[in-house]
Amino acid sequence: MNDTPSNLSLTTIRKRFGDLLAVDNLDLQVEPGSLVSLLGPSGCGKTTTLRMVAGFETPDSGEIRIGNDDVTHLPPNKRGLGMVFQSYSLFPHRTVAENVAFGLRMLGASKQTQLDEVRRMLDMVHLQGREEMFPSQLSGGQQQRVALARALVVNPRVLLLDEPLGALDKALRESMQFEIREMQQRLEITTLLVTHDQEEAMSMSDQIAVMQGGKILQLGAPNHIYDHPETAFVATFLGTSNLFDGDVTPDGMLKTEAGTLTLPTKATPGTRATLSVRPERIVLGEAAGPLSQGLMGRIVAASFRGSYAAYRIALDGTDVELTAYRQADASLGQTSLVLGDRVPVGWPVEHGVVVAPQDTRN
Amino acid sequence: MSKTAQISERTRRALLLAPALIFLAVFFVMPLVDNSARSFIGEDGSFTLARYTAFLTDSFYLGVILETVVLSAAVTVISVVIAYPVAYVLVRKAGRFSGLIIFLLIAPLLTSIIMRTFGWQVLFARRGLINQWLVTDLGLLDTPLRWLNTPGLAIAALVHVLVPFAVLSIASVLQGVDRRLEEGALVLGASRFRTFFEVTLPLTLDGIGTGAILVFMIANGSFVTLVLLGGGFQTLPLLIYQQFNTTRDFALASTMSTILLVIALACLWLQLRLVRRQGA
Repeated sequence: MNDTPSNLSLTTIRKRFGDLLAVDNLDLQVEPGSLVSLLGPSGCGKTTTLRMVAGFETPDSGEIRIGNDDVTHLPPNKRGLGMVFQSYSLFPHRTVAENVAFGLRMLGASKQTQLDEVRRMLDMVHLQGREEMFPSQLSGGQQQRVALARALVVNPRVLLLDEPLGALDKALRESMQFEIREMQQRLEITTLLVTHDQEEAMSMSDQIAVMQGGKILQLGAPNHIYDHPETAFVATFLGTSNLFDGDVTPDGMLKTEAGTLTLPTKATPGTRATLSVRPERIVLGEAAGPLSQGLMGRIVAASFRGSYAAYRIALDGTDVELTAYRQADASLGQTSLVLGDRVPVGWPVEHGVVVAPQDTRN
Repeated sequence: MSKTAQISERTRRALLLAPALIFLAVFFVMPLVDNSARSFIGEDGSFTLARYTAFLTDSFYLGVILETVVLSAAVTVISVVIAYPVAYVLVRKAGRFSGLIIFLLIAPLLTSIIMRTFGWQVLFARRGLINQWLVTDLGLLDTPLRWLNTPGLAIAALVHVLVPFAVLSIASVLQGVDRRLEEGALVLGASRFRTFFEVTLPLTLDGIGTGAILVFMIANGSFVTLVLLGGGFQTLPLLIYQQFNTTRDFALASTMSTILLVIALACLWLQLRLVRRQGA
């Protein structure tokens, strides 16, 4: 049993499959007891990275350390890990209790220890009394809890979560996000989570590493990455964003298709730049007047999303369409917007972010 | 409208099945029934179980049944032990060569069993290829070894014929085993060796069972190999052949055929039960 959590560190990890460079000189530190997400579209290298930490793949170069141990070339069973798979991967021929006890049995724990620990873990994941059931007799959510108990019972140095909630429906996914996160923080387990679901990454992580093309594009706390994306890809992958591509004018404005816009920060004249504005920062109608920088648009689509409404606005005289969210709160005294309305469009300048332009390779 | 469509659909299905069913009924079920019936009809034309009573209380005949079952069981065990690694390589390691391996497995099945057994004779005869190597070419031995009519060679030839059935049965089940289950076991501290015995093997028992029963049934009824390669085995099929052709005691032959059939049906029942248990 290790009571102080270990850190996980990846140094210049590289992995090539044939012609495909899956992971490209990746560096990553997971602080002891923290949860880091690898977030990105499929094929970005996140799963390969996780599989190298697990020991299912060996990096071509680089080093993986858990605590002070170099585990780069250790087989999976010698790394002291726990892992939860998207498909749960419970042993179908074994009962819930046998599944949970598996890791302890491999470690050579006594029958009594196994019994006690299984009971303790099943209590923790609220599955008391299901010991003798088979995985096929449980719901998806219950199977996922068993998988979690099975991974945690060995008190792993690092917990690996591979799209752990991908197979669950939305409501269950949200409650499991909280539950796993709460457990991970209480037990202070160093955790690496792989997901393509930005909400999952944002609600569960201490840090998110947004990946693309085998590289980490940006690493940071969820709210920091959301508010300060460094590239257009990050701005659109984590959340939704309106992007304005353009040239920086001599007086530091951005000349775009939508018009000449004020930048929140200084930019070098003569360069290309992209301004990113989150939909919830956009103000429509009367209130936009002083912020509008002369932009007017027509509402071409509106959809009610419960706590907020989403609008598509076509800017006058351009092909540019923006997305805007507005809180559905009557106390704000906002006039309701109707399809076809022409409204001023604006945003507080400081709520825009200058990001690296859209990668032309995409 | 829907009713006429239903009826015509049902008729169509029956018509499509008819040729096969009629063929099976005329050339398979009828001879089988006729043959079995003969064993139950006494000299005077009345129903009798006398032959079965006589057969099943005779220690010689019981010995033959036992020998048949023991030989088949031995062939089955050896076949499965050989087949499992082959199936494993085929499914897990062969990659783009898996097509070639399947071809190599199935190709011998396309040759007549008589030809394959003759092959063994050619190789292992007194002046066959193997002895020629050992004595003349390599000079390892002074006199040729006697291979033919040894139990070992007969068993080897049966295994040779039956291994593909076991490989294909095991491979089809192994194909369906989720690799992530094995990865899950590895991460939880099981070595590759243990992972195999804890996860892979138990999950492929179905394929092993199906393959074993298939091999056992075919071995039980095998005749050509034992006739040509001998081995000193006295099995039920050989005895049936003797009764039909030499002794011309058709009724006794029918009795033995029926017993062989009952053993085969018992195997089939066992297999269905095993598969149903796994499916639950």
